[in-house]
Amino acid sequence: MDATVTPLRIALVGVPNCGKTALFNRLTGSRQKVANYPGVTVERREGERATPDGRGMRVLDLPGTYSLNPTTLDEAITRDVLLGRLADTPSPELVVCVVDAVHLPIGLRLALEVKRLGLPMVLALNRMDVARRRRVHIDVAKLSAELGVPVVPTIAVKRGGADALVEIVEGGRWVAPRAFAAALQEHGAEDAEQMQRDLRGLLGASGYSPPRENPWFGRIDALLLHPVAGLAILLAVLFVMFQAVFSWAEAPMNWIEVAMNSLGAFTAAHLPAGPLASLLVNGVIGGAGSVLVFLPQIVILFFFILALEDSGYLPRAAYLLDRLMGSVGLSGRAFIPLLSSHACAIPGIMATRTIPNWRDRLTTIMIAPLMTCSARLPVYGLLIAALIPARAIGPFNLQGLVLFTLYAAGIVSALLVAFVMKQFARDRQYSPLMLELPDFQWPNASNLLLGLWERVKIFLSRVGGIILALMVVLWFLSSYPEPPPGASGPPIQYSLAGRLGAMLEYVFAPIGFNWQIAIALVPGLAAREVAVAALGTVYAMSAAGDDLSAALEPVIASSWSLATGASLLAWYVFAPQCLSTLAVVKRETNSWKYPLIMAGYLFALAYLASFITFRVVRAWA
Amino acid sequence: MKSDASLPVEGTGRQFALAQLRRGQVATVSGLVESAAIDSGRDASQSLVTRLRDLGFVPGARCEVVARMWLGGDPIAVRIGGSTFALRRAEAAAVRVEISASHARDAVAHAGSSAVPA
Repeated sequence: MDATVTPLRIALVGVPNCGKTALFNRLTGSRQKVANYPGVTVERREGERATPDGRGMRVLDLPGTYSLNPTTLDEAITRDVLLGRLADTPSPELVVCVVDAVHLPIGLRLALEVKRLGLPMVLALNRMDVARRRRVHIDVAKLSAELGVPVVPTIAVKRGGADALVEIVEGGRWVAPRAFAAALQEHGAEDAEQMQRDLRGLLGASGYSPPRENPWFGRIDALLLHPVAGLAILLAVLFVMFQAVFSWAEAPMNWIEVAMNSLGAFTAAHLPAGPLASLLVNGVIGGAGSVLVFLPQIVILFFFILALEDSGYLPRAAYLLDRLMGSVGLSGRAFIPLLSSHACAIPGIMATRTIPNWRDRLTTIMIAPLMTCSARLPVYGLLIAALIPARAIGPFNLQGLVLFTLYAAGIVSALLVAFVMKQFARDRQYSPLMLELPDFQWPNASNLLLGLWERVKIFLSRVGGIILALMVVLWFLSSYPEPPPGASGPPIQYSLAGRLGAMLEYVFAPIGFNWQIAIALVPGLAAREVAVAALGTVYAMSAAGDDLSAALEPVIASSWSLATGASLLAWYVFAPQCLSTLAVVKRETNSWKYPLIMAGYLFALAYLASFITFRVVRAWA
Repeated sequence: MKSDASLPVEGTGRQFALAQLRRGQVATVSGLVESAAIDSGRDASQSLVTRLRDLGFVPGARCEVVARMWLGGDPIAVRIGGSTFALRRAEAAAVRVEISASHARDAVAHAGSSAVPA
């Protein structure tokens, strides 16, 4: 074993929906590195795999593309990696071209294009099980001979389904195809025709026969793509999804809350009263715990999004909504990023890379934070429980209706902002829809679990890292300096945080916020859900609280007016203060201009909405 | 784009824009043209044509419109080469199709006045 030898660099290339990511999971298992927040295969995913010779391999899952003639940022990245144009990613030593055997022609066409680059290549003929079931005939040996590269059947979703591929790669039984110039030629019309002829020749030589149509797919599509029934089903799916986020999550959320409370009580009982106990109970357990409670909701939301993605439904939703979204200047393709933004704006914004047109993409990025992300749930949940009576209105619950209104307010204002942006757009470049509606399939359990695990890891590291650190800082700021002897008010008023809050109160008084809220909004800049933890800490610093969210609710119910609560809810519909979102926008747009515009317009809208809400509710109540 | 040299020279059927097909109608792609419906310049429609070809909209391919949205039929879902694609009307306008002889009766029954000779 030679430690100085670097692992073999392998890149997976394929058209979208060819099972490339499943094959990547099969090859690398959980040994994957996804650069911070993942979208859906839009992020740079790299994984490692040990090999018997000790060298190992490093597998890069490139974004799916139909052609090396890119129309989206995603596709451009794939091309640039293959050509070695990306500074931090050397071009691969071996390309594994993943081709869906069921849809051989479209994948094989890309393979022909990749082969022209002259990189060593192996062709993985994936989904062979489905292809066999649908009576697709392919003479693998002939295809391999004709193409001049090894061709290996794989079944990425089956255990051991990639063994043959691994054997070929490990055995080094691949050579560079007869080398063409490693330069990408312009995709002229004659060139394209030549490619079509080559493709037809290959298909003929390998005795390819197309798949038998599955009559069920046609029937399901007739229903799902129906202008009326299809939209009704889409609404029902979304309704069930958001309903599940609340009802299924209730029990596990209670467990976490109880566990955190008893942990806090245990700590308080076994430590001498003093700064350390206060830090651990109020800062660490109270602060991080009140955010950890939302883990079940995030898991459920991502479960639905991943399952819908895997089943092939999401592009159909984009088809249904394309016209509606087009009327405010959005593409149907914006649906998937915007849906993901309901979990968190960050993966949502990263998923906009699949939108080919810059203007469309920018609009989608700008409105993504208006979707009600899961970080707002803690705030909404707390305020609704504290201020809105659980009265029944017809078949509905008033609390549920308020929550629904807040979600709807986010979506409606997003559409309005998109519409306004459309009026200001100078270049009206046409941006195509051209979206593949893939075959339906049952979501694969292991892929689903792997995807969920990835999200849970990210969430937990956020709680453990940034949120925890902030809560400790906030605890410190609201504890020191200590009140002078003989002071009458609660100690926090004399602390740094209390003074900061008093200053901010001038700004926020017109919209009904008290100094406690003003303080809580500051750490909320790092992550919105921190505001709840911060309110908890701020109020707990006067009382000796060991159960923050439970104690917070009655405190708010008794000390806040309805107008103040409603105003804070309105503020959170726009919730401009999320630094990580702004950082991602900066990275994705490669400019400070757009994050600044975003923060500016969100602050303005939040202030305006809160101002109006506060005045109206106060006059009316 | 100039008319495709590799066009099948059947010349029997009438040519339509793909977007004019009714749901369930089967046709054969006869060629790709730069869509006039895309007003943002030649590059955009050129790259659209290229992409459509990459997706399998090549002369001789059989296709079927499997769904149409709303009354105007925008977007449409097209089944071709065993895959389904969602295309806007403007995109589908780049694809010229021919109703093959075996489906000619369908065409007469459905196409009505919207049929545009090539």
